[in-house]
Amino acid sequence: MSTNQSNEDFVGANKYILDSELAQIVNVSMKLEMPLLLKGEPGTGKTMLAHAIAENLKMPLIVLNVKSSMKLIETLYQYDTLTRLNDSRFGDSTRNVSDINDYLKMGKIGQAFTADQKVVLLIDEIDKADTDFQDDMLDVLDQMQFDIIEVDRTVTTKHRPIFIITSNAKKDLSDPFLGRCNFHHIAFPDPKMMRKIIDVHFPDIDTKLAENAIEQFYKLREIESIEKRPATRELINWIRALNSDPDFQGGDIIKKEVPFLGVLFKKSHDFARVSNSAKRTRSY
Amino acid sequence: MFINFFYTLKEVGISISPTSFLTLQKALSNGLISTLDDFYTTARAILVKSERYFDLYDQVFAHHFKGVELPDYESMELDEIAKAMLDQWLKDPKELADALGIDESQMKNLTPDELVEYFKERLKDQKERHEGGNKWIGTGGTSPVGNSGHHPGGMRIGGVSRNKSAVKVAGERRYKDYSGDAPLTNASIGEALKRLRNLVPSGPKDNINIDKSIYQTVKNGGEIEIEFDRSLKDRLKVHLMIDNGGWSMDPFIPVVQTLFDYSRAQFKDLRTYFFHNTLYEKVWQDPRRYNKEQLVDEFIRFDSETRFIFVGDASMAPHELMTMNGSIYAFETSGKPSFERLMYIADNFPHSVWLNPVPKHLWNYTQTISTISSIFEMFPLSLDGLEAAVAHLIKK
Repeated sequence: MSTNQSNEDFVGANKYILDSELAQIVNVSMKLEMPLLLKGEPGTGKTMLAHAIAENLKMPLIVLNVKSSMKLIETLYQYDTLTRLNDSRFGDSTRNVSDINDYLKMGKIGQAFTADQKVVLLIDEIDKADTDFQDDMLDVLDQMQFDIIEVDRTVTTKHRPIFIITSNAKKDLSDPFLGRCNFHHIAFPDPKMMRKIIDVHFPDIDTKLAENAIEQFYKLREIESIEKRPATRELINWIRALNSDPDFQGGDIIKKEVPFLGVLFKKSHDFARVSNSAKRTRSY
Repeated sequence: MFINFFYTLKEVGISISPTSFLTLQKALSNGLISTLDDFYTTARAILVKSERYFDLYDQVFAHHFKGVELPDYESMELDEIAKAMLDQWLKDPKELADALGIDESQMKNLTPDELVEYFKERLKDQKERHEGGNKWIGTGGTSPVGNSGHHPGGMRIGGVSRNKSAVKVAGERRYKDYSGDAPLTNASIGEALKRLRNLVPSGPKDNINIDKSIYQTVKNGGEIEIEFDRSLKDRLKVHLMIDNGGWSMDPFIPVVQTLFDYSRAQFKDLRTYFFHNTLYEKVWQDPRRYNKEQLVDEFIRFDSETRFIFVGDASMAPHELMTMNGSIYAFETSGKPSFERLMYIADNFPHSVWLNPVPKHLWNYTQTISTISSIFEMFPLSLDGLEAAVAHLIKK
């Protein structure tokens, strides 16, 4: 962590455990005003980080969930031709049909650019969209402005947003895009870190239960050919389930069998495989 | 500052842009970095853009700031061979002794290191391709270390296999670059491939055509009539996988070349990879299958809409396809049978085809062709076959 700790530095948040490495990267990216690209397995807290930053710095958070068919223009602004056409036909709305601005709506990036205060803009799972989406975004990131073609107006950022971009670890992004971002890969938390995370979420959990659950959790993650390995989110839900059931107090029983398997494994294929392998180990 | 660091990173193959280096300088001059640890994380976040390079970065960092030796990448290839040899030695000392042309009892007196050295020395001594003779490693000679020699069970060192199934190949680097400008002999293949590009709009009818809507509305006397268009989706990503190993593909290479020349210009995103007989752990981007390797497991990084087009005769010894470590490359021991790799591609990329230059009526005579055609849709490498393959590729 840098020594010149000002109150604008990001130090972590209520329910978010931050390692110092990531904190340094977040702070450097904010100072350099560069977008931060986070990669990592699902469930390593990429999305949570943006929430934590927003909470910590008391800034509004704008989330753009990228979808596969998304075009960049939708995220900037939308010109609602249909409503305008409709209004011009029926003329019963309060909008002024002759004023095109009444039919322009800002998309998420547009909102972040025009916001009255500095915001955190989370562009979640950018790899879902076509590579075109990333390429188009380059200009926007470079210039911090975009044009509304319909009215020939340029929207410039009032306050440069803090960009947090997340991407699934499996997919590659284009080189020019990567060039404009700072990059960090969040590794899956090790058991020690996981223990801290669990403690944050369940402050008064039984120590033994937590330890046993975490141990079993990491064992289950190692089973081969699992399509979707359980992540932090699944573990937290699982522990919540275990915690609420008096049968599992103390957690010794988890060592022998895995209750609530469906909380951890969501794909039927994975579920079957894990319950099979659990049966096999028991019969030995 | 840290210019050497920058260049060392570049040298080991991490792609770093000068711009990002300047960004790092900015971070330094803004006082954002006060300790070496800060520098480590910050420089990594700014310079290195993929976790694949994190390990390399660590090595360079340790080298630069703590004086740790960088691994010598030059000697790695020989080490691979050496490693494979040792494996072989453990399995069957007799065969290896024969292969190296020393007596088995004599070999027993050598330590593994000496043995490997002996082999490496012979490889190094040899400056040119060697044919005949009785000492150096080459082809057709009587020295047992080599290929197509008289020695039964000798390790194969490149060259043309006389039987369809080469037993072990190590160091085969003889194929020329296919890319470029070979005369086009079979224009019809190009014609067929063009169909890949002329994909019909495939998206849903969800784009409002404003002009048409206004026209129709006016025509309707002001009653609103909305016209939709299909959103266009004509961005085919193609991975062309070419089997360029072994003489069994040699007769078809001109045909493949034609196909390749055409396809290069056809697609938005076309990547070509080369493999030998079937897929193992890696494929290569250069036809010599030497420099630019790509892990098969990493294909999952690509869009699942990517079309994989395999071109190969699918003819090999069944064990190459079905057994673990079945590769004819001695050092390819990745532990997964090749057919599992093929299924992996087929599962992840449903739009895949295999084009086979072997005439269709002969397919049933080769076991591996039947096996592979049960994994991929297989089409003959003919104009008709291509048309059918294209139809299959654009199917939803």
